[in-house]
Amino acid sequence: MAEKTWIRMSGLGGQGVITCAHILATAANQEGKESTVNPFFGAEKRLAPAESYVRISSEVIHERGEILKPDIIMIFHPHVITLGKCYTMPFYEGLQPGGNVIINSDQPLAISKEDLEKLNQMQAKVFYVSATQIASEVGGTELSTNMAMLGALLGVAKVVSFDAVKFAVQDRFGGKNFVASGSTAALDDVMKSKFAKVTQLIEKNMNVVEEASKRVEEYQL
Amino acid sequence: MIEQKVMDPQQLFFEAERQEVFITGSEIVKEAVKRANVDIAISYPITPQSESMHLVGDLYAEGYVKEYFRGESEFAVMSEVIGAAMAGVRVFTATGGQGALRAFENFPNWSGSRLPLVCAFMTRGLNAPLSIQPDTLEMAFMLDTGMIILHAEAAQDIYDMLLKAFIIAEKTDVHIPVGVFMDGFFVTHTRDKVKITPAEFKLPPYEPYSSPIPVMDMENVPFRHMRDPFVMKSNFISYAAHASWQQEVLAAAERSRRYIQQYLGGLVEKENENADILIITSGTAVSQSQEAIAMAQQEGIDVGLVKIKCIRPFPTAEIQQLAANAKAIIVPEFNRVGWMCRELKSVIEDNTKVVGGPRVFGGMTMPPEMILDEIRRCTQ
Amino acid sequence: MNKNLFKISPGYEEIMPAEYLDLINDGPYGKNYGVDDLGTFKELLEEHPLCAGCGLALSMRLILASLPNPEDTIIVGSTGCSALAFPQVAVQNIHSLFGNQNAVATGLKRALKLRFPDKIKDVVVVAGDGATVDIGLDMVMHSWFRKENITTIMLDNEAYANTGGQESGMSQEKAVLNMAPTGKKFPKIALPEVAQAAGCAYVGEVSPLQAKRLGKMVRNAILIAREIGPTYLQLYSPCPTNYKFKSNETMQKIKDRVKDGTFKVKEYITPEAEQFLAGIEEGKK
Ligand SMILES: Cc1ncc(C[n+]2csc(CCOP(=O)(O)OP(=O)(O)O)c2C)c(N)n1
Ligand SMILES: [Mg+2]
Repeated sequence: MAEKTWIRMSGLGGQGVITCAHILATAANQEGKESTVNPFFGAEKRLAPAESYVRISSEVIHERGEILKPDIIMIFHPHVITLGKCYTMPFYEGLQPGGNVIINSDQPLAISKEDLEKLNQMQAKVFYVSATQIASEVGGTELSTNMAMLGALLGVAKVVSFDAVKFAVQDRFGGKNFVASGSTAALDDVMKSKFAKVTQLIEKNMNVVEEASKRVEEYQL
Repeated sequence: MIEQKVMDPQQLFFEAERQEVFITGSEIVKEAVKRANVDIAISYPITPQSESMHLVGDLYAEGYVKEYFRGESEFAVMSEVIGAAMAGVRVFTATGGQGALRAFENFPNWSGSRLPLVCAFMTRGLNAPLSIQPDTLEMAFMLDTGMIILHAEAAQDIYDMLLKAFIIAEKTDVHIPVGVFMDGFFVTHTRDKVKITPAEFKLPPYEPYSSPIPVMDMENVPFRHMRDPFVMKSNFISYAAHASWQQEVLAAAERSRRYIQQYLGGLVEKENENADILIITSGTAVSQSQEAIAMAQQEGIDVGLVKIKCIRPFPTAEIQQLAANAKAIIVPEFNRVGWMCRELKSVIEDNTKVVGGPRVFGGMTMPPEMILDEIRRCTQ
Repeated sequence: MNKNLFKISPGYEEIMPAEYLDLINDGPYGKNYGVDDLGTFKELLEEHPLCAGCGLALSMRLILASLPNPEDTIIVGSTGCSALAFPQVAVQNIHSLFGNQNAVATGLKRALKLRFPDKIKDVVVVAGDGATVDIGLDMVMHSWFRKENITTIMLDNEAYANTGGQESGMSQEKAVLNMAPTGKKFPKIALPEVAQAAGCAYVGEVSPLQAKRLGKMVRNAILIAREIGPTYLQLYSPCPTNYKFKSNETMQKIKDRVKDGTFKVKEYITPEAEQFLAGIEEGKK
């Protein structure tokens, strides 16, 4: 049987959801696993719902499109849950038994009793991480929120190694090979302008990843 | 311009070494065009196509494509490529969804004018309210434009089909346009592994005088086309000429079969085709079906798969033979109208065994479980 | 075009159609003929199927006699009455769709520049008023904005003639036509002014009544388009069939319009284009 981890990332345009997914998939590939990644978004707008799906498996992956049965759900912004800014409602729909939910928020969200009960029945684990705050503190820019989320993921489940992530970050921002779409390319330029050198960008972002992996906390359902 | 060595198509397609890269569908389009010796590319933005034509623009800036610009609308772009192709150069463009329909009047004109244009169609929902999400509805409209229609399943198909499309389209006895269709987002935006040939090799250039119709360059003998124009319905010859020309365009598509066989290994691909239950479909629906078939296998249900790569010309004989012994044929589709099901029903003798569906549309993903449900029903 | 291409191989003179022989022996390729020479050479258009007295037919004849470089000219037409005559024109010409002529011409010209960087290849658009000002206006104007090196010539008969005399944007205000049963509600579109604003280096209005002037203007428009930028000519070419006058009154119709002030020969040229033309004149001396 194939060993599979399906990860659904939901966030808002401009938060780096798609970049985060790309880095994760590249890291998985680097480790010799099979992986595909594909984003789903509406208009290329900041704050519009944006999702990306990472499939990691020990065998060739045929399935395409949205991940309807995720093992891990990553929520990059409280609005995904509180304002329903996502492609799946409720946000945990399809989560596999014993799956994980990682939410970027400084404090637990007002999730309804009913939803919490359902999560409990599914034996889900819910984690919170102050990803945006960690990004500002450690990385010096909110644009690193996605890297903090990636760190939180590694803190919860070792889907890939830190080294592989470092390779992928290097490939993404240091390499010449990566091609970003129109609006993502524009944000890339902003990101790069915040750091004197690409090496500095990579180092700071890796610090964010490590810090967030330590600061992610389980919420008792 | 960047120097690249010309390689014989057969060699480039089948013998050249290949390197595996992990890139998106849009980036694969760039890699294919980079090696296709394209003279002119003309673009117009529409999601999910835009990214690929940005990248083709980069090829122009880098010196791989000789001329590139953004036209003023899809209708205009699809006419601009007509002028360029008639002048005898190799042309590439891309669009999708609303863009394809905005340009629609041009497509039968392309094939009627025997232009070997290659256009990538990145599919997208068409109906109101506005959608940018994947849906293959536009393909239903494109079926009878006279073009050759290829449907990529995933990453590798994009690369191979695009490069091969130029060579198939430009055969003198074919010389009609090829549309390479790929499902928006599912294929265009998915990052996947694909094997590509070295960038230092490209296809041979287009040979304008291999065209079966005169090149519009005033470098061949000047002549008056005809005594009476086609639209003057005054004369038997004009009727006859028009009727025979339509047949000739159809015949050109028929003649492409052997080249599709040669370069793409046939119009269909099949796996376990002797199973009682067969899934026949194209594009992303094939990928989802593969997962469903694996799930069915675990339940002890044997299911075969036929992937249709070329929809025009339609693999009629292949399908008839494959369908003959099947007890049930399932046709999953990413559109509301079920055009693939209609196509299959029109050629399969006992078409009561064709199950139309499952279908999703409006951008939805088709869960493999949906197909599995259909498989289970067929065993009852 | 390489002249050897249309030379007849020895022994084949007998079997070639008379018309081809006429074109080779007495045609205008490489001869630099103009309107003044009409009647002395085999014309590029003959036996057209247009109505008797057709203004377009006159304009087309004069345009074709004035091409500075017929052996290297490709014409892009559009659907409409002129499309019925083009199959009998002996320079390569394209009919693609109704209204897409300037888009086709754009692609054609750019591709010809790639294939023949050291050779002159003139691309001339000749299309009706409906094709130019209504259905194809966006593509006409965008070809001007983009500064394509093409000449656009409108055959202005102030109606959709080919489909039975409907109102077009070029019809005069109050004209009663099909689809304008109570008269047109807005003035004739000022396309020459639009052309100037859109970046044409040379713009003119003329008619077959001023045959020599027309010939000169066609020549100017093509020469300027080659080197400087887009050019636009509007040829008033009345339609006896749909405007219901006798076929021998076409010239009179134009004279009437000159008299009542609703038609005037006009020419606009940018300083750059003017200098370019002066340079050509210099060269001749
Ligand atoms: C898309 C499309 N719409 C309508 C037509 C029908 N049609 C053919 S010719 C024509 C009128 C042409 O008018 P104009 O350009 O002024 O040329 P004229 O016939 O007056 O010379 C029309 C409406 C068409 N061929 N294509
Ligand atoms: Mg008209």
